[in-house]
Amino acid sequence: MPQSTDLLQGTLDLLILQTLALEPMHGWGVAQRIQQLSKDVLQIGQGSLYPALYRLEYKGWIRSEWQITENNRRAKYYRLTQTGKKQLATELATWDRLSLAIASVLGRATEASS
Amino acid sequence: MISELLARLRFLIFRKRRSELDEEIEFHLEYAITTRIAAGMDPAEARRQALIEFGGIEPAREQCERQRPGWWIGTVIQDVHYAFRGFGRNPLFAIGVLITLALGIGATTAVFSVVDRILFRPLPYADPSRIVSLGFVHSLERQEFVMGRFYVEWQKDQAPFSVLAAQSTGVHNCDLVEDNPAQLGCISFQANFLPLFGISPVLGRNFLPEEDRPNGPRVVMISYGLWEGHYNGDRGILGRMINVDGDSVRIVGVLPRDFQFPALEAADIVSPFAFDPAIQLKVNGGFGYPERVFARLKPGVSVAQSYAQMQPLFNGDLKWFPLSAKSEIRLSIRTLRDKETQDVRPVAWVLFGFVLAVLMIACANVAGLMMARGAARQRELAVRSAIGASRGRLIRQALTEALLLSFAGGVTGLAMAQALIMVFVRLAPTGIPFISRAHLDLRIASFAALLSCLCGVIFGLAAALQKPGLAALNAKASMSRSHAFLRRSLVTAQIAVSIVLLSGAVLMLRSFSKIEAQNLGIETGGVLTMKAALPWWRYNTDQKVMDFYLRLETSLRRLPGTFAVGMASSIPPGTGGSQSFRYSDLVVQGKPPAPPGIGGNVTGRSVTPDYFRALNIPIIRGRNFAEQDRAGNEREAILSRLLAARLFPNEDPIGKRFQSDGFRGGAGTIIVGMADNVKNNGLTDQSDPEMYTLRRSVSDDWSGNRLIVVIHSVMPASTIEPWIRSEAASIDRTVPVEMEPLNQTISRMADRPRFETTLLGFFALTGLVLAVVGLYGLIAFMTTQRTHEIGVRMALGATRANILRLIANDGLRIAVFGLALGLGTSLAMSRMLKALLFHVSVFDPVTYIVVPLLLSLVALIAILIPARAGIRVEPAVTLRAE
Repeated sequence: MPQSTDLLQGTLDLLILQTLALEPMHGWGVAQRIQQLSKDVLQIGQGSLYPALYRLEYKGWIRSEWQITENNRRAKYYRLTQTGKKQLATELATWDRLSLAIASVLGRATEASS
Repeated sequence: MISELLARLRFLIFRKRRSELDEEIEFHLEYAITTRIAAGMDPAEARRQALIEFGGIEPAREQCERQRPGWWIGTVIQDVHYAFRGFGRNPLFAIGVLITLALGIGATTAVFSVVDRILFRPLPYADPSRIVSLGFVHSLERQEFVMGRFYVEWQKDQAPFSVLAAQSTGVHNCDLVEDNPAQLGCISFQANFLPLFGISPVLGRNFLPEEDRPNGPRVVMISYGLWEGHYNGDRGILGRMINVDGDSVRIVGVLPRDFQFPALEAADIVSPFAFDPAIQLKVNGGFGYPERVFARLKPGVSVAQSYAQMQPLFNGDLKWFPLSAKSEIRLSIRTLRDKETQDVRPVAWVLFGFVLAVLMIACANVAGLMMARGAARQRELAVRSAIGASRGRLIRQALTEALLLSFAGGVTGLAMAQALIMVFVRLAPTGIPFISRAHLDLRIASFAALLSCLCGVIFGLAAALQKPGLAALNAKASMSRSHAFLRRSLVTAQIAVSIVLLSGAVLMLRSFSKIEAQNLGIETGGVLTMKAALPWWRYNTDQKVMDFYLRLETSLRRLPGTFAVGMASSIPPGTGGSQSFRYSDLVVQGKPPAPPGIGGNVTGRSVTPDYFRALNIPIIRGRNFAEQDRAGNEREAILSRLLAARLFPNEDPIGKRFQSDGFRGGAGTIIVGMADNVKNNGLTDQSDPEMYTLRRSVSDDWSGNRLIVVIHSVMPASTIEPWIRSEAASIDRTVPVEMEPLNQTISRMADRPRFETTLLGFFALTGLVLAVVGLYGLIAFMTTQRTHEIGVRMALGATRANILRLIANDGLRIAVFGLALGLGTSLAMSRMLKALLFHVSVFDPVTYIVVPLLLSLVALIAILIPARAGIRVEPAVTLRAE
């Protein structure tokens, strides 16, 4: 198992928004998806996943509704709202700027941008 | 199998009400487990791993809860509920804090609101600290005055002031003659007077320069009170002609509502001063008339500098005065505040100090109570912390409690302050400047509230901030050593401060009782004084005045029950209206005159023969004036014992003659008798020697309109007052008459010291109560804490007396130490009270015996009550309880 990395403060929100941008999903799905996409590098402590989901919902960036899963089980699905989409765009832009800046400082600008 | 597992899981997580979150977490775990089982994991292991992966369920739930906006309101409500339950369980604590805060905040705010105007608040003028009162002062007139001649010079030659303005020396009675007549107070000032103070009329305008000239147009400004009260605030009042003392004058302005005259006179009508330099250089022996002068300092000039700059001018003026007067006259320049509040300042400062002390005691009390509560709750806090309450939560809880108490205390305190102010204003005698305008001062209220709340919060938090250790869980709660020391020091300080307050109050009380008990030298029971306000413009000759009073005397003597009817220019013990003159002005025939400027003042009174009988002043040598002397030509005088002893040591004064300033030439005045001393310089000041001159039935002797009729009757005052009124009315029904029993007059003179004593006594008692409550609380607390120790001691054979001694020793040490500290401090500080004390030394032995005794007594009670609880400890019960 590759070593997991602690998520940067605030990055979790970005990851969740990005994940939900693809399709509406329940909490478990979000966690799985992030883990899959990051090839098991990013493991979300579920203890912080749900508070993050709630936070985003209170902020109005995502919305939740109860739906039936493919396994015929009731689950709470989260989907991105319009404001959430805008927020995602802003946060992505911020992230790009930030990571580029950090890469420059670390002297790896070419490597990171490639 | 899986379903069973899931059921157990459900049971594990969701003991509480199922919420959406619960369902969501359940779903999550279900998936996590089934995925693992699907991957071939043993179900039990799968469940274990899923739970590990998820982490703490309860924290996650709490975390989610916290994401909700405004979630903290719920916890605040919880905290408040919890705090109220706590108060309910321990009402004594809550009430103690509440009362302490209320007293502390209430008393401080009330007194500060009263002294604020006297000590700190700027006067209601533009840039008041730059306004000064300037002029001459001497031993007979301590308020600055300037003679007209010198005012002319000063205006021309002075440098330190940007502007000078004069006002007449005081208010004189004047009559408003119209359908609705009234007797008013009239005063006059120059046209530049109001601008100097930065005041403009609320209606109309100030005097014009051409109105402020001799023989200018007759105009007046009226006070707001007169405008509102007499003219119903009629805005059309401007330009109206009114008749004042028979003269028709035009109203041109109304003074602002809150305008106060710089010497605090109560005047209703102001006319232009109309200063005429040419006349001033001629009248009154070339001196001109006296007036009050105010000035505004030029920017950058201090009072001291202005004094130095005026000194040469003043020295030049001195050559006009006779040699005898020179040494007694000084130049005086002082700020308005000094002038307005001169004689109430000492008491205001003392009061202020008392109140700060009470506030200190109150704060110490709150701190002590909070610490005791914190210590007693260590165990509870430890338990709460052990079952998962975060420290932040505990601190918030403590803060909520402290704030709740402080808020309640603050509100009660404000209500109390308002009530106290109302009481003060009601109790306050006249003559304390500004007191009627005292109102709740919100700045100081917030300051007092903040300070005492801070005490509560700081010491309330102190307990919560300590990390509750395991020790607190297993051991019985115990106060840490540093806290114990701090609390003891607090209580010691409280006792010390309350001793200082108490000694101050007892000194004042002793002084007041001496004032009340002193021998005034006159009979006050059954004596009624009467004043008739003769309108001077109708009674414009001395003859008319004399006729009125002689007729009045005759008719009053006929009243049944009347024992004596005397008339005098003034009556003791007050100084009002008495004609003081300098001792050195008395020249006894055949003796060298006394060197000028020494010997102080002599009180002079012009009286009718019956004056001595009416006031029951014994004639101890020679004889009284006789009725037939009133028609004679001889000027007669009676000396007080004090004056006789000064003028004629070892000689018989009877039959000697002297000259005084008033009556030079001729045969002089003959001394016919010697009367016993009376108190004649106010209740508290040293009496002056006194000289009575016979008021003959000659019009010359009746100049100066001011007269008091003294009636000594066997009938009660309420019976004869209407008789007197009708007798006066039968002579002239337009003359207003004022009457007052002499008893009341004198009691009113003692109002000031009575008020001061009451206030200080009140604060001293408040302080004492708070300090004793503090001591009681500490001993009670320590006794409870030591229950176990006491149990052990008793089990090992200690008697109840031993235990009592053990507990009491602790308290007594604090009390004795505080007592010593307090006595030392008050002995060192009592000098500050000196100005307020009458015939009582600041080191009055009685006070310094009574105060420690009183304190020891209450301290002993405060110690013994909780100590009794200590000796009732049953060793078996206590030991088993462990």
